[in-house]
Amino acid sequence: MLRTSVVSVLLLGLVAGCGSSATADAPGPGATTVKNCGIDVTVDGPPKRVFAAYQPAIEMAHALGISDRLVGTAYLDSEVLPEYADAQSKAKYYKNLPSREELLAANPDFVLSGFNDVFSAGGGSDESFGSRKSLSELGVRTWIFSPLCPTADGKGDEAIDPASVSMTNVYADLRDLGKLFGVSDRAEQVIADQEKRIAAVEAKVKDAPKPTVAILRPGMEGGGLTVSGGPDFGTVLIKQAGGVNAFADLTSKRNVKIGVEELIKRNPDYIFISGCCDAALTPASAQPEVARILANPAYQNLKAVRNKQVVPWLFANHSAGVRGAHTTEDIAKTIHADLFK
Amino acid sequence: MIKGGGWRAAGLLLCGGVLAVAVLLSLSVGNQLFGAHDVYLALADFSGSDNDRVIRYLRVPRTVAGLLVGVALGLAGALMQGVTRNPLADPGILGVNAGAAVAVVGAIGVLGVTSLTAYVWFAMGGALVATVVVYLVGAIGRGGATPVKLALAGAAISALLGSVTSAITLTDLSTLNEFRFWVVGSLSMASGPVVTQAAPLVAVGILLALVLGRSLNQLALGDELAQSLGTRVLLVRVAAGLAVVVLAGTATAIAGPIGFVGLAVPHVARSLVGADYRWILPWSMVLAPALLLLADVVGRVVVRPAELQVGIITALIGAPLFIALVRRRRTAEL
Repeated sequence: MLRTSVVSVLLLGLVAGCGSSATADAPGPGATTVKNCGIDVTVDGPPKRVFAAYQPAIEMAHALGISDRLVGTAYLDSEVLPEYADAQSKAKYYKNLPSREELLAANPDFVLSGFNDVFSAGGGSDESFGSRKSLSELGVRTWIFSPLCPTADGKGDEAIDPASVSMTNVYADLRDLGKLFGVSDRAEQVIADQEKRIAAVEAKVKDAPKPTVAILRPGMEGGGLTVSGGPDFGTVLIKQAGGVNAFADLTSKRNVKIGVEELIKRNPDYIFISGCCDAALTPASAQPEVARILANPAYQNLKAVRNKQVVPWLFANHSAGVRGAHTTEDIAKTIHADLFK
Repeated sequence: MIKGGGWRAAGLLLCGGVLAVAVLLSLSVGNQLFGAHDVYLALADFSGSDNDRVIRYLRVPRTVAGLLVGVALGLAGALMQGVTRNPLADPGILGVNAGAAVAVVGAIGVLGVTSLTAYVWFAMGGALVATVVVYLVGAIGRGGATPVKLALAGAAISALLGSVTSAITLTDLSTLNEFRFWVVGSLSMASGPVVTQAAPLVAVGILLALVLGRSLNQLALGDELAQSLGTRVLLVRVAAGLAVVVLAGTATAIAGPIGFVGLAVPHVARSLVGADYRWILPWSMVLAPALLLLADVVGRVVVRPAELQVGIITALIGAPLFIALVRRRRTAEL
């Protein structure tokens, strides 16, 4: 598989080299360049055919007001936020990520990705779009959300720089994308709104005790549990909401597998069930998993179980992006309910 | 090789001792280390503390699941090797477990079945169909169903069924993670109700297997000689096939597909007690759960705080043995 993908990349590279090198490589006089995850992204004018992969990218495109430039959107983890529902209903939607070929058939000039794995060449995934360089050679510009920057192009989740996991980086992305797409004013409005809402929450929870929160993926992966570790954006969001990620010290990946006994040992105050991945998913979809945990005799001593603080939730909520303010408010209202009466 | 009934029985007791140690390790080793006293208290004087709950609701079901699955796979492997006179026979290698797994995933994903008592029948059905298909594919061409051809057919069908299992798990995105377990087997899903539901089925399989020992010895002499000695060859084959389907199907329903235990253990038993299935079957029945439980204990500690599925560990142990067996011409053409 690796070999065939190398060959196809080479072939596509050749085709592109013959046809479009002038448009792809030489920046025109009106060119704009910004850096994203160590790669220069140059556009001659605002991109007109944008492909948004994953929920955070889709919501960011709508937030920036470039919904009408979307040639495709793929792989929602849940319903989009209500303010984007209208725009999303008009966009072309792929339930699964398209293959590289399908993606190129949509003829995008810009791929905005909410996660890094679509560009991870060796990810072992048939869904990979290919490395960012290989797409750039075809004249397709690409963007990874900065809080998920891998240390090198083609790498994935195992190579996230923990220092990059911050709301500041979401704002930097908004500014840079605003510049590339010619919508800087809109980007500044979005940033101002996010900052204001998050600051309001932070002010409110400032002096409250900080409960521990575990973000748990439903079901069993390989017979264990999957929790959000330190590099997951959930860590930042929980902190903003006045809590602590119970698994922040596990930093090997965003999603860390643990044994059931490890969860019992950590005994978090809250367990958020991270429901995923369907375009119609709501937090209520995680209710069966909540019931399973509450009924499991092995969990009866957990504080979260004793106090009925196992919360049906969404994977989409703890992704980096313009959900930041929404999720910060949402977590704070749960773990500091008394302050938000 | 151990000769004489007395010595073999004594050896079997010794194997029982090994199994007891494996059970104790499985109860005490994991994320936390418990002493024998903790384990005793959790079982005899349950106080509801964290330790008691971990032992009683996680370690005990998991250990019982390991026992049931190990016994089932060990016996299924020995039966398959005996009835097909094929040293490479194993429910993992010959596609039986893969057939059971794909049927379970189909039952859960498509039909919405959720309890073990409901989907274990699908597991057995899938095991049966896979067994027949692998045998038919392996029997095509010159030489009939030789051991290596059957193993190749099993590998091919396993790969095919495995990709169907993956495809079902991938298309059903919202339940993807719940299915992950059906691709590589693991004991950590076991719960009290699951093992209580599965135990009677394994018991039926054990009974069926143990009464077949003498008939398998006669089958080893070849069909014609066995027939002249009064063995009803077809009946033995059908009964053994039934036992394999019940055992491998139930094992897969509990733990997902686990390979190589059913291959390795009967060979170890055979090398110790000789070709007599009246001894190979009980030895396999005791050694297989010991191996499986020890593999599971290793899987719990090597990548903490995560766990490695027991199916991965058994593959790591079993694959070299499989290669060694294929390379030994004598056994490969048994």
